[in-house]
Amino acid sequence: MADRSLEQVNDPCVGAEGLTEQSRSQLEQDAIAHIDALYRTALRMTRSSSDAEDLVQETYLRAFRSLHQFAEGTNLRAWLFRIMTNTYINDYRKRQRRPTNTSLDDIEDFYLYDHLVDSVVQPQSDNPEEEVLERLTTANITDAIDELPEEFRQVVTLADVEGFSYREIADVLQIPVGTVMSRLFRARRRLRKVLYDVAIESGYIREMASDGQL
Amino acid sequence: MANCDETIAKLYEYLDRELSPAERREVEGHLALCPPCREHFRFEYNVLSLIGKRCRETAAPPELVARVRKMCERAPSDP
Ligand SMILES: [Zn+2]
Repeated sequence: MADRSLEQVNDPCVGAEGLTEQSRSQLEQDAIAHIDALYRTALRMTRSSSDAEDLVQETYLRAFRSLHQFAEGTNLRAWLFRIMTNTYINDYRKRQRRPTNTSLDDIEDFYLYDHLVDSVVQPQSDNPEEEVLERLTTANITDAIDELPEEFRQVVTLADVEGFSYREIADVLQIPVGTVMSRLFRARRRLRKVLYDVAIESGYIREMASDGQL
Repeated sequence: MANCDETIAKLYEYLDRELSPAERREVEGHLALCPPCREHFRFEYNVLSLIGKRCRETAAPPELVARVRKMCERAPSDP
């Protein structure tokens, strides 16, 4: 991996050698600035607010302990997410009880787009598809993400919510960039299918017509 | 000039800003001439924006933030 500082995350060594009180305190403040992003991601990974809080707290505990290993100029945000991912894999994953449907990977590439364009046969406005989208609530979208298998929830959250680059996601998850791309593509494809189903269930799309008729 | 399939295959890499400048220009060259592809890109851009916008409404609970802040007050004195 390109980022060496990220590889030392699990080093149990505790100590603050080479880090002044001032720079430690500054790093801590910088790290805490990412707490909302870490919590949101923890929530999607654990699908439980109490587990998410514990995971974030444990992440900061480990991060503060390893702060002396953090090389200045490296990506603090990615470093924190990497610690959280490792913590999650080691301590939380086995607790996950809720099953996810890992089959069903034969979805059209752009399900939502293809189906919305077909479904909304009588445009009431210039952008009927966008009107359907706008009706999707935060709960609709987070519930839809939570329907995805774990590896899909991770990449979608890192890419589409937190805006990490493919390279950064590869570093956080310790997988090749090519795997990030294919996983993200499949995750987005699944998510769009689920969002379409949600839009139907919620009545956001009423003009359902397989034959193109109202 | 790239065709529709080649352009749609790069949709996410384009929207994720992961293409090289040359690849970007090629996609944009096609989009400039092809309303259906343009519409498709615009739609996916809107879906991605919406997912990001909605999900980023969630913030860490204040009690958690307080606990982490407290933790870091103690951290410097840890052995
Ligand atoms: Zn085209």
